[in-house]
Amino acid sequence: MKLKQLYVLLMRLAERFQMVQLVIIFLALFTGAAKEATVVFSEAAALCIQNQYLHHGLPSPNLHMSSEDYNLVSSRNFGSEDVSPRKLKHTQGNNLRGIPGNHHGAVVLSGAASQPQNGGPSNMSFYNTPSPMASQLSGVAPPPLCRNMQPNGSNLNTVNTDGSPRSIVNSTIQAPRRKFVDEGKLRKISGRLFSDSGPRRSTRLTGDTGANTNANTAAVAGNGTNNSSKYLGSSKLSSVAPRTVTVRKGQSWVNENIEEGIRNEAFDDSCANVASTTSSSFSSDNVRSLDHDGATVLVGGVVVSGAKAVSGASEVLCLLRTLGEGYRLSCLYRCQDALDAYLRLPHRHYNTSWVLSQVGKAHFELVDYLEADLAFSLARQVSPYSLEGMDIYSTVLYHLKEDMKLSYLTQELISTDRLAPQSWCAMGNCYSLQKDHETALKIFHRAVRLNSRFAYAHTLSGHEYVALEDFENGIKSYQNALRIDSRHYNAWYGLGMIFFRQERFEFSEHHFGMALQINPCSSVIMSYLGTTLHALKKSEDAIKIMDRAILADRKNPLPMYQKANILMSLEKFDDALEVLEELKEYAPRESSVYALMGKIYKRRNMHEKAMLHFGIALDLKPSATDVATIKAAIEKLHVPDELEDNLSTE
Amino acid sequence: MATESLELEEEGKIIGGNQHLIVDDDLREMGKKAAWSVSSCKTGNGVSSLRDDNLENYWQSDGAQPHLVNIQFQKKVKLQLVVLYMDFKLDESYTPSKISIRAGDGFHNLKEIKTVELVKPTGWIYLSLSGNDPRETFVNTFMLQIAVLSNHLNGRDTHVRQIKVYGPRPNPIPHQPFQFTSREFITYSTVR
Repeated sequence: MKLKQLYVLLMRLAERFQMVQLVIIFLALFTGAAKEATVVFSEAAALCIQNQYLHHGLPSPNLHMSSEDYNLVSSRNFGSEDVSPRKLKHTQGNNLRGIPGNHHGAVVLSGAASQPQNGGPSNMSFYNTPSPMASQLSGVAPPPLCRNMQPNGSNLNTVNTDGSPRSIVNSTIQAPRRKFVDEGKLRKISGRLFSDSGPRRSTRLTGDTGANTNANTAAVAGNGTNNSSKYLGSSKLSSVAPRTVTVRKGQSWVNENIEEGIRNEAFDDSCANVASTTSSSFSSDNVRSLDHDGATVLVGGVVVSGAKAVSGASEVLCLLRTLGEGYRLSCLYRCQDALDAYLRLPHRHYNTSWVLSQVGKAHFELVDYLEADLAFSLARQVSPYSLEGMDIYSTVLYHLKEDMKLSYLTQELISTDRLAPQSWCAMGNCYSLQKDHETALKIFHRAVRLNSRFAYAHTLSGHEYVALEDFENGIKSYQNALRIDSRHYNAWYGLGMIFFRQERFEFSEHHFGMALQINPCSSVIMSYLGTTLHALKKSEDAIKIMDRAILADRKNPLPMYQKANILMSLEKFDDALEVLEELKEYAPRESSVYALMGKIYKRRNMHEKAMLHFGIALDLKPSATDVATIKAAIEKLHVPDELEDNLSTE
Repeated sequence: MATESLELEEEGKIIGGNQHLIVDDDLREMGKKAAWSVSSCKTGNGVSSLRDDNLENYWQSDGAQPHLVNIQFQKKVKLQLVVLYMDFKLDESYTPSKISIRAGDGFHNLKEIKTVELVKPTGWIYLSLSGNDPRETFVNTFMLQIAVLSNHLNGRDTHVRQIKVYGPRPNPIPHQPFQFTSREFITYSTVR
């Protein structure tokens, strides 16, 4: 009921003040469901945007009025927050996040509200130029603008609260703190995006004009998309990181603009124009008031007819909606669905760095490392200086044991940005792959020092502590990671593993369960949960989970092996042997499979077969401990044989 | 295990030494978890010089023979290899010539497990603790003692520049009977 009243109120406000963007944002925020996104992204939205063009006869007074109204509406927003959490409650385990998400949404919008005041006058010169991209790339904008833009930049940071584009997807949002930390980082990232090979660290550190301007232009362009992408951000069920979306959208837009603007100027121009015009009510009303005449609008020096604007707007919204859908699904770890969503994008948009890294990440969560490798390497080809998602890529290469590729990646990342935690995570993974855990640990600590809110660095240092058998510090690191991001399932898994080693099986079960709840498609976690259950003597459940894991990922040999283990300890030797025979097909050169089979045959007193399998196991060069174990087992085998011989000769 | 070696192992005699320290991948250094002590030392050349990864400084003993280096662990560990760095060219009469390695639960029940004679060692000397039996690949013990029984040219005191102790790596996946060897298994065996 409240919702409906609010809806009516907002529509009235919209009519009065032409603040269609705001209305749509709030609508989406409150409806908060994916299917209601159709409302948001539908024709109505496009038409509303068109209306904007036609009603641009309200110059600067609009701005002042609009700011008051923002405050009004945002206060209303606060009032009706209790509505939205209800809607968001059916998110998986995201209850706590739903509410802060909204808070931040509100903060964001009120923050955004104050943007136009600062952004308005200084944006004029930007939007007057024919192609926004040209001005961004040339960095010709005069220095004084930097100072004007800086408050804008900081406002932008309230928008992009977990704004460090380097932060991982699921990091939590805490608006005020990040405001001051990430401003510089945002500039760094944007500076790097724009200035290909040129000034990097020194530029950043001395706060070079060019870099700042570029950053600000990126911020402005980001602004445009930010507003449209707020539709996405608020319409997601898991309002995990709506701000991250905005940043990423900004980046993806920027990337797309750079990579493809040259090719598709028309489309991009209209896009950029639409993007800039969707931020219009916030910033460029001044401009349009200067340039408008009748039904056609002179925006950014390009004449855009009303109809074209609508179709452009609806295309943009459609695109953003697909991106948002994919992102939402990958946050929910429904990775297969996320991949399908991303595949719906047109080719041009699929082949951008952001989308490809998201695709890579989805494959990573599905434990499909080869596909992930492919996607990430494409992403790097498309945008070689983007750091986002590269920490995940380094982990993928670690899993695939590609030390050459990994060290090359590390070198490139470090030379791109020495101060990014992703680069150091990649380097740490490199050392860890070479089993130099102490150096890897030092490096992960460095990554943590660079950005203490980068949860993955904490998790990785936890892994290193465990490799060094320092469980206390390992637990601390994982808990740090979880404090930053409670949906970081790797940290839950890590804690589960520590407790498993320490034989505290109840704790371990709980933690594996939490990890599985967050990421239900990971077959590795399922198989570990199964092993834990077996250790807790809940073998029936264990077998069930193993079967689930086997079904989830047929390429993963681990659940089958663990299942065979469990069956063996349950003394169901025939079943175990069956599973192991199947496993032989999957991994023909795995010595532990043969060793286990040998063990089972020994238990069943089929000595010849046992000998055969032990022999094969030894041939496959197991580790020294295993060699010792296997040989010892063989010795024991011989004794009954000798006895038999003695008996037979006698 | 040992490449570029001038090593000849006959009847417990080792001639020369290795330039580089090259160890199998499935061994890891265990010395960090142990308490190290020596029977005697000269001030400035104490036990820390044995563990500082610096080949310039050395431990110098200061008492009667045999000179002992005691390595005590908090729990029973599997050890496979002991590596010593010595330099006859620099140390001459201080270089050990006969070394005995003992293992046990404590000072009261050490038993000798290996004796070697060194001939002008210059570099890293690898002393494997494995027996001939495959079941004796590792020595499972609380304490290891390296005793210098005599030196070259009948020197009284001894210089040792570095000692490292190696054991097998534990199974990265706990409670697993065997370790994984193939790439498919290892790739899927952990979440990172």
